[in-house]
Amino acid sequence: MGVVILVLVVIAALSAIGSGVWVATALVSAISRNRGAQTAWRQANEKSNERDL
Amino acid sequence: MDTLLSVGVVAAYVVVLTFVAVRARAARQFSEFSLARRALPLALVFGSLAATYVGPGFSIGFVGRGFKSGFLFLGIGLAYAVQNILVGLLIAPRLRALKDCHTLGDAIGQKYDRKCQIVAGIISVSVCTFFAAVMAHAGGVVLNDIFGLPHWSSVIVVVGITALYTTFGGLRASVITDAFQFSTFAILLPVTLLFVLIFHLDGGAATFAKQAATATAGGLDSTSLIEIIGLVAAFLLGETLIPPYANRALASRTTRISRNGFMLAGVFSIIWFIVMIAIGVAARTIVPDGTHEDHVLLKLVESVMPAGGYALLLVVLVSVVMSSLDSLLNAGAVAFTQDIVKPFSELPDERALNIGRCATIVIAAIAAAVAPAVPSIIGGLLICYTIWASAILPALIIGLLVKRPRPLAGILSMGVGTFVAMSAIIFLFIFPSIIKAPAIIIPALGASLLAYILGHWIDRIKSGA
Repeated sequence: MGVVILVLVVIAALSAIGSGVWVATALVSAISRNRGAQTAWRQANEKSNERDL
Repeated sequence: MDTLLSVGVVAAYVVVLTFVAVRARAARQFSEFSLARRALPLALVFGSLAATYVGPGFSIGFVGRGFKSGFLFLGIGLAYAVQNILVGLLIAPRLRALKDCHTLGDAIGQKYDRKCQIVAGIISVSVCTFFAAVMAHAGGVVLNDIFGLPHWSSVIVVVGITALYTTFGGLRASVITDAFQFSTFAILLPVTLLFVLIFHLDGGAATFAKQAATATAGGLDSTSLIEIIGLVAAFLLGETLIPPYANRALASRTTRISRNGFMLAGVFSIIWFIVMIAIGVAARTIVPDGTHEDHVLLKLVESVMPAGGYALLLVVLVSVVMSSLDSLLNAGAVAFTQDIVKPFSELPDERALNIGRCATIVIAAIAAAVAPAVPSIIGGLLICYTIWASAILPALIIGLLVKRPRPLAGILSMGVGTFVAMSAIIFLFIFPSIIKAPAIIIPALGASLLAYILGHWIDRIKSGA
């Protein structure tokens, strides 16, 4: 019984760590996409400013 | 030397957090500030939801409960998981499907009328502010433990840093930093548990099972049935769709992501409670018996981890607090702009964004001012749960599920729910020995439901339909 409880606890701990890693991966890709979007927005803004001038 | 290391680790953490917040970029439109352009992917919705609900109560509090009453609180925590899964299945997709909806008040306004939206907005802003005060109080306690700073200055540091990135970045910055904070504590706390189980549990599995059984039996003996019912009701309903969660449901990229985000967050809560309670149970062989339950986690880590590990845990605790606080500040500011200011005047987008930013700062300032008066973390949370569940939930859930909700029913339910909840809380403070805190949610919720039925009935007779 004790072993079963402990195994369940260890599985829960590993699942929580797995969730943390999954979200961290999504965070890294969201931040990289953001940088791309930011650059595109800045370039579009600069172009429109040039046109206005 | 140890203090220097702690300061260094916390400073490094703040630098990385600032980098992440800056990369999340400043919101340029109100729709970005309030709903992150409705483009959040599943992992971020899930991570942000979990980071928001895992506050001091679900980490420090649950470790303490595991220490005192074993796995009793896992049974009570299951109510929380069920709530999240039910919200995912039944409510979140319906909420996400509403058009031009930024807040719960918006949803209530669309289902009932504008008056109901304003009342819902006032309740949302008040509850978010008080929740934020509880988080600020907890943040103050943690920083006070680390650096020995006075409580008020610790509160100002935690609230100041959180308000800074939330004010500029809005919901997107809140969600991105939540994801970072979630990853930090979802990895480090289970690693702490594994470290304790592998290196410090004398007697192995048999000792762990024996400690768990003894603590659970003790917990069952010392908790009355009415307390258990009250706690289950509080966990089932108290945090249901509070404004930060609703904002994440509304900001999901699709209705499916909204549904799955809540369901995954529900499943994760079971995993999380098992880990936290197991840390508490494992601590029973290491931490002295009379230790106050709020200090079990700190004492355990202090006893078993090297200095670097202790500093990392402090970072985890700061993450836990800030990830909940930023969501509450943003949700309160968005509710203020959308539900209280916008119904009275047409706002251009830029002005709405500026009002949202100012509201974030004001709510943060009020939360910081109220924080020292918060009685305790769990006590403060139970007060918030009671007000929220009775004031908003019946009107919101019935409104989303039925075809023709009646405005009178909505306004009566919100008014009576708030009044009874506030009266019960005042009664609790005057006569603490007569009623138990977790139990007050039951009469308040019952009164709100009755008021809803009465309002529906009167409105139906008046309109002759």
